[in-house]
Amino acid sequence: MPDRRTIEIRVKRQDGPDRAPYWQSFAIAWRPQHNVLSALMEIRTNPMTTDGERVSAPAWDASCLEEVCGSCAMVVNGRVRMGCTALVDRLDQPIVLEPLTKFPVVRDLVVDRSRMFEALKNLRAWIPLDGTYDLGPGPRLSPEVQQFRYALDRCITCGCCLEVCPQIHRDDPPGTGFVGAAAIAQALLMNLHPTGQLNADERLDALMGPGGVASCGNAQNCVEACPKDIPLTHAIGEIGRQTTIKWIKDIFVR
Amino acid sequence: MDHLETKTYDVLVVGAGGAGLRAAIEAVDQGVSVAVVCKSLLGKAHTVMAEGGVAAALATTDSRDGWRVHFRDTMRGGKLLNDWRMAQLLAQEAPARVRELEAWGALFDRTPDGRILQRNFGGHQYPRLAHVGDRTGLEMIRTLQDRTVQAQRIDVFMECTVARLLTDDGRISGALTYRRESGRFLLLRAKAVVLATGGIGRAYKINSNSWEYTGDGHALAYDAGADLIGMEFVQFHPTGMVWPLSVRGILVTEGVRGEGGVLKNSRGERFMFRYIPEMFRGDFADTEEEADRWVADVIAGRKAEARRPPELLTRDVVARAIAQEVREGRGSPHGGAFLDIASRRKAEDIRKKLPSMYQQFFELADVDITREPMEVFPTTHYMMGGVKVDPESQAATVPGLFAAGEVAGGLHGANRLGGNSLSDLLVFGRRAGAGAATYARAQSGEPGVETRQVDAITAELLAPFERKGSESPYAVQDALQDMMGTCVGIARTADDLQNALAALGELRARAGRVGVDGNRQYNPGWHTTLDLRNLLTVSEAVTRAALARRESRGAHTRVEHPDSDKRFGTVNVVVRRQGDAMTVVEEPIVPVPGELRDILEGKD
Repeated sequence: MPDRRTIEIRVKRQDGPDRAPYWQSFAIAWRPQHNVLSALMEIRTNPMTTDGERVSAPAWDASCLEEVCGSCAMVVNGRVRMGCTALVDRLDQPIVLEPLTKFPVVRDLVVDRSRMFEALKNLRAWIPLDGTYDLGPGPRLSPEVQQFRYALDRCITCGCCLEVCPQIHRDDPPGTGFVGAAAIAQALLMNLHPTGQLNADERLDALMGPGGVASCGNAQNCVEACPKDIPLTHAIGEIGRQTTIKWIKDIFVR
Repeated sequence: MDHLETKTYDVLVVGAGGAGLRAAIEAVDQGVSVAVVCKSLLGKAHTVMAEGGVAAALATTDSRDGWRVHFRDTMRGGKLLNDWRMAQLLAQEAPARVRELEAWGALFDRTPDGRILQRNFGGHQYPRLAHVGDRTGLEMIRTLQDRTVQAQRIDVFMECTVARLLTDDGRISGALTYRRESGRFLLLRAKAVVLATGGIGRAYKINSNSWEYTGDGHALAYDAGADLIGMEFVQFHPTGMVWPLSVRGILVTEGVRGEGGVLKNSRGERFMFRYIPEMFRGDFADTEEEADRWVADVIAGRKAEARRPPELLTRDVVARAIAQEVREGRGSPHGGAFLDIASRRKAEDIRKKLPSMYQQFFELADVDITREPMEVFPTTHYMMGGVKVDPESQAATVPGLFAAGEVAGGLHGANRLGGNSLSDLLVFGRRAGAGAATYARAQSGEPGVETRQVDAITAELLAPFERKGSESPYAVQDALQDMMGTCVGIARTADDLQNALAALGELRARAGRVGVDGNRQYNPGWHTTLDLRNLLTVSEAVTRAALARRESRGAHTRVEHPDSDKRFGTVNVVVRRQGDAMTVVEEPIVPVPGELRDILEGKD
């Protein structure tokens, strides 16, 4: 049972991308049903360490506060998760907060997740349309396919799946490292789109290149860490199957 | 002036929600250079929280639907105070915008034969909301974000806030911004600026909006000399959580009451029976026994013989009732009413019928709605009022300034229908992007930026660092939010509104004394200090407009004028800056032309 009179939070801080990290502890009065973000907000109104030193408020990312936007992923007591659903009363104290380790730190708990956008660019995980033809009444799509796509569609680009993946390294040179589970699932989502299918081969080509689906080590951590229960390993398996078929087809066509 | 990072574009879009991204995509498609600035990260804007869906008369679920019906519903919902041309454009263009979004990769729930499934929603005559589960906003943002990422000519400045718009001889010439992370200033010169900054919810303590909603666009436009209209119309959702803090303001869906949830005060009374308006008396149950019978019938899937429970009265009635109970001292411990479904339905039924509600409050706050009542109070949800714009191009009254989405006024009139906000973003985001691109192309040469103007602004922005420690920005914001909730909430009196004006004067003085510690690098205290200026401006605009509209209409209720007044049905209340003073004038609205009036009267 943690001490119910106070909540103690240790934050791994870092003043900038090239600065050395350091630790600070904060304490606030216990109130029922705090989550990590509402506790951080309370700290922010009067940022004073447990040593009585007045400091700048710890920085973190958040937007919706209801686990839709994916901003507030952080490492809480050693485990990556969303800050808004990390309930204080269910955590051992002191609560230890650290930034994601697989992304460059911007400041304190804020990291640079542009790697995730770069991965989408590499895989062309979108529908290329130039707006020059009439879209008509729109494609038909069976409810079954829609349901499966919806499962892939819940991604909030939080980065939890990359954080736990052994194939992802913080110092991967841009564009060469493993693209990661989130982007692979998005590529599959687009390959299942009635218009997106027309460019499925381009996405598969990209996924057969360096950092593509073959870089997956099958550790299956991603599917465990995903806060939205996206069937990531299933998506990786399906993309693996599609790339294999394409590889064989390419041999004969060549 | 130190070296100031400066970049130049044709069009600058402020905000990366649905309207901002759609505007940027359109402008870049028209061949101009575009930058987007947003306070948070790309893809995390407030739009992601939209759940219901996007209203568009696709007629895929009910073939009787069409733009005329959508137009009529929108105008009726807005109590005919809408800009009729905007309502018409919304109804006519929303289907194409939704299909376009789908073509770009967005996913929507389907009918059994594979077409887009549309759901019913309050105020819409036919099922009209295209949706994907309860995550439609996220889907829209993801699709638009992908489209933005693939466009080569859109520069995105994330975690960057616009401090002031710049003008040159009355025309827009750009914006001075600061990067939240480094605290450095960034000057973005632009021929045209599109405001797509969303709403003002953070002026109130109980609100359902993201932290970004500090009325930035409203205040920037006002400062630049643009007209604001309809500022008295703030939409409150009757049931937002008030406790615990971790979920304060989050919406509790009407579905909880539809499934039998009841509202009670601190004495355990089901008070809604006392608030049934005369005109609805015949339609609502007047005893608990009858109300319970209705619920039992509905749950069993039988046609209900009994009348509906009064908890299902319209949003404005329920919201006013809760506020009155609290004001008269019968509130819950944290200043709300109890919304109890736990004692009415079996736990497993609640989990089955209201899965997202159950899961959300359990995960975010350890509140088990199957075991305990919720504490709810009306939560500030949406701002109907905003920048006065030309319906075709979304141009504001200042040359070079455009606005789209929640920050723009006119479309929703006195009250917005659910689902119309997402179609608003797509239809008018696109129009604003096109309008801004066309305007920018027509300008010869770069608009000028005066160093003196920029120096004066940067000095003002940095002033809080010189005033160490006299007043905390959070304390001032807290006081403002409390005051707005109390004096400019759902039911407004002239006395309260006058008190609010006096209080705003004092709060402005306090805000002028706010000091900030530390340096400019990611300093949330400093950011809050700068937000305060905008919050105070929009709060004053809401208060003054509310004072001017001496009637009750849509979302605006004046206690001493409980009925609508025909004369006020023909005017907009316009808020405008004159020197340092905020002025309020009435301006006639453009009458609906004959053929559209026939549609309103049901002759379609």
